[in-house]
Amino acid sequence: MKSTQYSEKVLDHFRNPRNVGTLEGEDVAVGTVGNPVCGDLMEFYIKVKDNRIEDIKFKTFGCGSAIATASMITELAKGKTVDEALKITRQDVADELNGLPPIKMHCSNLAADALKNAIKKYKEKQEPLSKQRIAPEEQKEIAGMKQFRGRGVYEEISDLSLFKDKRVMILERGERSIEIALKLTKLTPRVVFVTSEKQLRPGTMSEELVESSTKILYESELKEIRGLNTVEKVLMHDMNEDEEYELFVDSIVILRNE
Amino acid sequence: MSVYLDYQSSKPVDPRVIDAMLPYFHEKFGNPSSLHSVGDIATEILEESRSTIGRFIGADHDEVIFTSGATESNNHALIGYALRSRDKGNHIVISEIEHISIHNIAKYLERNGFVVSKIPVDQFGRVSVGKLAERVNGKTILVSIGYASDEIGTIQPISEIGKFCREKNIAFHSDIVAAEGLIPIDVNKENIDLLSMSSNDIYGPKGLGILYLRKGIRINPLIIGGGQEAGLRSGTENIPAIVGMKRAVEIMQQEMNAETKRFQHYRDRLIEETLTRVPRCYLNGHPTDRLPNNAHFRFDGIEGESLLLSFKEKNIEVSTGSACSSKTLEPSHTLIALGLLHEEAHGSLEITFGRFNKDGDVDAVLGVLPDIVSRLRKLSPLYKEEAKS
Repeated sequence: MKSTQYSEKVLDHFRNPRNVGTLEGEDVAVGTVGNPVCGDLMEFYIKVKDNRIEDIKFKTFGCGSAIATASMITELAKGKTVDEALKITRQDVADELNGLPPIKMHCSNLAADALKNAIKKYKEKQEPLSKQRIAPEEQKEIAGMKQFRGRGVYEEISDLSLFKDKRVMILERGERSIEIALKLTKLTPRVVFVTSEKQLRPGTMSEELVESSTKILYESELKEIRGLNTVEKVLMHDMNEDEEYELFVDSIVILRNE
Repeated sequence: MSVYLDYQSSKPVDPRVIDAMLPYFHEKFGNPSSLHSVGDIATEILEESRSTIGRFIGADHDEVIFTSGATESNNHALIGYALRSRDKGNHIVISEIEHISIHNIAKYLERNGFVVSKIPVDQFGRVSVGKLAERVNGKTILVSIGYASDEIGTIQPISEIGKFCREKNIAFHSDIVAAEGLIPIDVNKENIDLLSMSSNDIYGPKGLGILYLRKGIRINPLIIGGGQEAGLRSGTENIPAIVGMKRAVEIMQQEMNAETKRFQHYRDRLIEETLTRVPRCYLNGHPTDRLPNNAHFRFDGIEGESLLLSFKEKNIEVSTGSACSSKTLEPSHTLIALGLLHEEAHGSLEITFGRFNKDGDVDAVLGVLPDIVSRLRKLSPLYKEEAKS
């Protein structure tokens, strides 16, 4: 069976997904799940009243079955108590859709997981967290930093034209790093800005950067620089998903701390 | 009738090719190995076809070996050459964006004692001779770089790579499948020593290809039997398909010039209009050094398979590098090699034009593309309306 041979019911939910959107309010909980292998991402919004899911909405970035399963599970969960909703399995979703291609079963798994995550968030809201998580701000050593200094790694910038048409990664080091990133977008189509924060500190330049073609990697850190004689790729750490992956780049700008 | 825009994946056989093939199934069914006159007819057309197809790439007729297709040719070139040259060295260089068959053959060779280096490409998908030079050493026996990328359409600096390999006395193999029939190719001008070509990619039948082997380059056979194809590739020759490929080459020689101009016109219009009409949309691959029939886009915030399905609903057949549409659920290694993140590699759309496309086909795409993208973005948690550029 091909990965895109879907049942008519799957296609119906793909064409006309139910309950797309977001919800707001005190009684709304949001669950997010991403599948790193497939790259799918789902957000579920649930509104709970008297322990029952009164309303549910979703947004998804993913393939046809990811959209269809998300849509389907909103229909299954609406009106159920949170405990009943927790029992919905990926098989239930697939069955309701008259089956899924075997290779796509993970996508419906994602919908069930995202719903569970939203319910978990709802329950957490009911009992406020006792411990506050504090992210320690420490400067970790980047492997390969010394080896590639001057061979693709720059700690100071004197001549921007060096980066023309290069894939440049720049680590957040205050205002100046944002300023340089903005200048670089005029020289090359590929600028990747890395920050360990969830969002950039507010400011006109930050806004401009978000609007620009720069690819911003939030909650990310550079772990290792790799290459033969010069920088060729990096090992990144996605702190939110706790995942590592390689990314091909030509140059890295790591300004010395201000 | 749907609008077919996935010529990179498969091409229909030209009706003129089918006409040429038909007599060889029934009337002229001989085996070239037979010594009677029915066999002689087969031998004659076999050798005539070999010469015609050889001329198409600047090769002599005795440098052409018929195979079952480009995948077999790739296997034969890499494994056959590596095994034959074991005494000289054990190192092979390919690029990060080779066709999946080359990547998997390289893995197979690694399991069997060979060492493989991969050349990273720039953000447009180009291999540089500098990066190649950094990787070759005294043990390097073979370099294999595809003429152009079947996915993103980037054309490689083949002449420069060929020249470098010749100077270093390293054999150079190129898989030309993505480029054949779109770019004139000459093995002598470009210093190619081994080359893989398929019949279907010039509108011939599937199940046939050739391996070009420069005189003096020695390889081991992979398929052993009755000693056909100078002992390098046994098995009774597939004469109807060979005749088909010969006819396909003849037609291509006549029509390639005008045809590629037409594709280029479609391509340029599609790229220009799409980049203008759709916000946060990017062209993958090289802006100018790209195949005349290839347009490859990515869109922020949406996933390729949903894009493909949406086009399918509108009776337009396109392709994507999305993992969700692949057998392994891995994103395209080519897009990752460009420096894209997984989520970006997922949002790609590949459109490839071919012989039977009409002027209206570009309009068909442009008529639905902006709406499809905006509908899928409304569903997407990754795309915020206010982030529009």
